[in-house]
Amino acid sequence: MTLSQRLANWARMKSPWITLFNSGACNACDIEVIAVLTPRFDVERFGILAKGSPRHADILVVTGPVTRKQAPRLRRIWEQMPEPKYVIAMGACGASGGVFRGLYHVVDGVENVIPVDVFVAGCPPRPDEIINAVVACLGLLKEDLAHGGKAWRTKPKVIERVVPTEGTPVPPKPAEVPA
Amino acid sequence: MSELLKLEQVARAMEGIGTPEAVKANRIRVPTTPAKVKEAVRRALTDLACDHVVQIAAVDNGKAFELIYHLTGPHRTVVAIAIELPRDKPEVATASDLLPPAGIYERQIHDLLGIVFVGHPDLKRIILNEDWPANEFPMRKDWKPNPNTFYGGVRKEAT
Amino acid sequence: MAEVVVPIGPHHPALKEPVNFKVVADGETIVRLELDVSYNHRGIEKAAEQRDFVRVVPLLERVCGICSHSHTTVFVKGIEEAMKLQLPPRAQYIRTIVAELERMHSHFLWLGVAAHEIGFNTLFMWTWRDREAVQDMLEEMTGNRVNYGINEVGGVRRDLTTDQIQAALKRLPHLEDRIAKYVDMVNHEQTMMIRFRGVGKLSRVDALKLGAVGPTARASGVDYDIRKDDPYIAYADVPWKVVTDTHGDVYGRTLVRIGELQESLQIVRHCLENLPAGPIKVTSPRAAPKGEVLSRYEAPRGELVHFIRTNNTDKVERLDIRTPTLANWTSVAVSLVHQNLADIPVVVAAIDPCLSCTSRITIVNERGRKTGELTWDELSAHGRAFYRNGRRA
Repeated sequence: MTLSQRLANWARMKSPWITLFNSGACNACDIEVIAVLTPRFDVERFGILAKGSPRHADILVVTGPVTRKQAPRLRRIWEQMPEPKYVIAMGACGASGGVFRGLYHVVDGVENVIPVDVFVAGCPPRPDEIINAVVACLGLLKEDLAHGGKAWRTKPKVIERVVPTEGTPVPPKPAEVPA
Repeated sequence: MSELLKLEQVARAMEGIGTPEAVKANRIRVPTTPAKVKEAVRRALTDLACDHVVQIAAVDNGKAFELIYHLTGPHRTVVAIAIELPRDKPEVATASDLLPPAGIYERQIHDLLGIVFVGHPDLKRIILNEDWPANEFPMRKDWKPNPNTFYGGVRKEAT
Repeated sequence: MAEVVVPIGPHHPALKEPVNFKVVADGETIVRLELDVSYNHRGIEKAAEQRDFVRVVPLLERVCGICSHSHTTVFVKGIEEAMKLQLPPRAQYIRTIVAELERMHSHFLWLGVAAHEIGFNTLFMWTWRDREAVQDMLEEMTGNRVNYGINEVGGVRRDLTTDQIQAALKRLPHLEDRIAKYVDMVNHEQTMMIRFRGVGKLSRVDALKLGAVGPTARASGVDYDIRKDDPYIAYADVPWKVVTDTHGDVYGRTLVRIGELQESLQIVRHCLENLPAGPIKVTSPRAAPKGEVLSRYEAPRGELVHFIRTNNTDKVERLDIRTPTLANWTSVAVSLVHQNLADIPVVVAAIDPCLSCTSRITIVNERGRKTGELTWDELSAHGRAFYRNGRRA
């Protein structure tokens, strides 16, 4: 690795910038993310800044179960981010749709729209857990840099959008893994 | 704060429109017909000193659609004007000229139940996404998501 | 008090949910405002028809994370009214304590966010730090900072111990001091006075006609407050007063919210000190008899209404929710006409929307037929620059 590459990697790990995307959440996760920026938890001491624009961000934090209206916009925001980029899906909603699983206006989880690197459990996750997730993301960043990219841990998969009958929770079809 | 409305006051104001009943001490329900509902709202605003619209509740009771206009005023009594609309032709005159916030409420009801508010200046989509297919009204009791219809969001694709 | 230095500091994203505006402007002046609220429609009302009374409460809690207790309380009290249940007083008091603590956390949150909109990030940090004291109280009493899960049909799920009550009472005096400081700040701090006074004015007649509710309406002299008009839980037993103001602008709304902070603190203190002994719930029947209930509640943002139809089963037949923010939107659209683009973030933030923009705002310039797109943050920045340059675009 050249000196400038090493410098860039060091800067990325020491000061990751996050951008927040609300894909139709109830707001509880958003409040906890913003609480993370305030004096009690103060994430700025770790060099983490919350930037409004996806073009400046390293990490995309997605809250909400992804409503149908937000799904294409979420995809577009993710595509606008420059590599290396990471996605943290917040809470139960981000993982599987949470309490909103199966509702008619919801796409049930961030993974159905963009690839996710870190899931944070909770409804909403505590600010401490959010900081933990960002730190875990940085750990992933370090490993990815050592392996030269994300290819070592991602598998391509076909995402099948199963439209459930109203109200009944439907377990997702298992992802296809190539040989 | 003035006195709660009495049943006789409401009956007098709603003469020819419907017979009110006191559901609770501070809620009086006036059933009427779609043709007379606008007049009922007007009378509530002028004769019964109602100045605030609480909610326009819309229900699908399986057989027909019901609309209930809840109004209140300094007397702190809720006047609930209830009408029933036939399922095959749910149309009623808009109340948005008398009650400005009804502009938004009626758009929402139209999106979810398909009730047409005749005379509404701009009855376009407000609450469902822009890709939602037309003529699918999710809050109707007989609506089920069709597995072959695309309701918006992202389609099947490989990431 | 000492002069407060206003830092023009690092940029923090504004909170909240996505909403799209279409603004038709003539130069800097707004001609018309249209809005698009479908970004976080999730289909909750439909799901409520398929979940029984135990399972629907966690769903309703997450309609909105800031006023989660409001939604569950208004729903369970509606079902209790349909079932004709009489709740023990201790349960009512506990519900009131959590409700007022929620109002406090919401108003602190709002103060911080409004300050952030005008670039006054110091106040944002201060109010959110003070808010943490309220969150601590909520966490000790209910087990969670947000989405408390304390309500169920028939009462509350957790009791308060003497230790918790003492710990909470000890935190209140400090909060009182902080709130007094904010009152002082709003009346003397130059930035706030320029950005808040005269902006987004809503007359009393307009507030009523356009259906405004909550602090937005009370700042225009409308004294509707469901806690007094249609008392529920323990509000009828506690001495408190409705806070109104006559300014009708964003400054008035700020004063109303800070006044409500002070009142809420008194209500919490009164309820904690006078908590009646007894059970915290009654056994409720599984099914609710056939009926129709209009349940109203004064959420931090205004009047929240749940219209419930029950039909002898353990599920509702219809749940129709009217949130206070939807009621306030028409007043925003009207009060922004003839105002500056730079005032949009402040006026929208002033109704304390439980929705706000991370989406794009389309600006159509009528005269030049120019169409531009701004994000909320860009519009906020435009607002700050506009006022810094002496109201010049």
